[in-house]
Amino acid sequence: MIWRQGLIIATSIFVALILQLSVLSRLGLPGATPDLVVVTVVALALAMGPTQGAIAGFAAGALLDIAPPSDTVVGINSIVYLVIGYLTGRALDPRDRTVPISIGIVGLSTAGATLATTALSGLLGNPRVLWDEVPGLTVSSALYGVLLAPLVVPTLGWVVRRVTPDVGIDWVGTPR
Amino acid sequence: MLPRRTRIVLAVLVVASLTFVILDLRGGDGPFSSARAAVSEVFGGVQKGATTVFSPIIGASDWWSRQRDQSAQIGELRAENDNLRLLVEMGANDRARAEALDELLRVAGVGRYRIIPAEVIAVGPAQGFAWTVTIDAGTNDGIEQDMTVINGQGLVGRIVKTTTNSSTVVLLVDASAAVGGRVAGSDEIGIVSGTGRQDSLEFQLLDPLAELTAGDALVTFGSRGGRPYAPGLPIGEVTDISGSAGQLTRVATVRPFADVSSLSVVAVVVRPPRDDPRDSVLPTAPATVPVPAPSAPADGSQESAATPEPTVPREQAATPVPEGE
Repeated sequence: MIWRQGLIIATSIFVALILQLSVLSRLGLPGATPDLVVVTVVALALAMGPTQGAIAGFAAGALLDIAPPSDTVVGINSIVYLVIGYLTGRALDPRDRTVPISIGIVGLSTAGATLATTALSGLLGNPRVLWDEVPGLTVSSALYGVLLAPLVVPTLGWVVRRVTPDVGIDWVGTPR
Repeated sequence: MLPRRTRIVLAVLVVASLTFVILDLRGGDGPFSSARAAVSEVFGGVQKGATTVFSPIIGASDWWSRQRDQSAQIGELRAENDNLRLLVEMGANDRARAEALDELLRVAGVGRYRIIPAEVIAVGPAQGFAWTVTIDAGTNDGIEQDMTVINGQGLVGRIVKTTTNSSTVVLLVDASAAVGGRVAGSDEIGIVSGTGRQDSLEFQLLDPLAELTAGDALVTFGSRGGRPYAPGLPIGEVTDISGSAGQLTRVATVRPFADVSSLSVVAVVVRPPRDDPRDSVLPTAPATVPVPAPSAPADGSQESAATPEPTVPREQAATPVPEGE
């Protein structure tokens, strides 16, 4: 079952990355670029659990750091997405998740990703950061995340349930 | 054995039939012609009536088959229509690309840049603050690091990384980009640097006493060996100047000619021109170009090479074959 989960993670991240870099970022939308990669990581974390979420986040971030046209420090996105994948997988008992809550988690994650990557790269001395644009970018990335979530989260959830039906969500929490 | 009565009936009927045959075979107006006429009269009427009564049903099956044909035809026409619409849309797309390539050829032709056309295939996310794009030409196409990237409007950026089939371009507006610029129509030079915002650059004049007015165009000064920036490429237009003449730092805001938010067809300058094209590449070259400014006497040789030549370029190496179709 591990390789099946790995296959889902790899495929969805690859597709999300291509779409984000070659389609979404070229649409010229106002504000931030719709962060499909983060939405995908969160969707995977919600569907599989924190460990898989962390792995997916790390892989997605590392790919985003390395894939052209990236010209920034490698590792910033991977660590931020790793944390996001873990936290969103862990945040809430799967039984408590409703659709609005899932969408809210995605919105918070995309906003958090923008803030965290900006802060980290700023701390590491990236001269490109325009601090006065950070609020606008954060808000718009949250909005785009909320818009993407209803498409991505159920789709990936369905795929995960379909491909790995005998694996539940690997959520570690106190049983009730 | 059959019962006797049945045998009799059968025999009579057989004999009658044979008699009919024989009588009818005699030809001519036999005893049956009138009977036949009467019967066919009756039947003909009935058949006609039946046809009239039942024609909707017969027609229905006919109509049904016609309907099937028509729906198939509608399907075919619809598919054909879709195809044609796609062609029209592709035509518009192709026209836009052809226009972009035309513009590019004008720049490359007038400035004598040897270029390789390419297309933007990926753009970095806005929240990364890095203005970088990927183009679909790499070392296989002769692209090397620190080559200049242009489009039909002017300077776009420079190559920072190459792979065999793609390259990463840092755009002019990126906060890490800095290019030597010259005010068109004069010899005032300065440094144009990106601000990270797509519609503004910063221009810092080296000579604080130099005259600069809003509306002045800037062209690249040209790096040594044409790398990373080839000379004579339009950069942008001065929109705002802060600080007055004589002040220690005078910074002008420049709006880049190339719209970096909608890049598609670009070109890489693989060989800069032998002579600085000066201001000739600008869409509307200032009228003062061929007249050497009195403050620049040592520039005569370059000026002679700068006569605008809007003729068909001889050194046109770039065939406008868009890649990645």
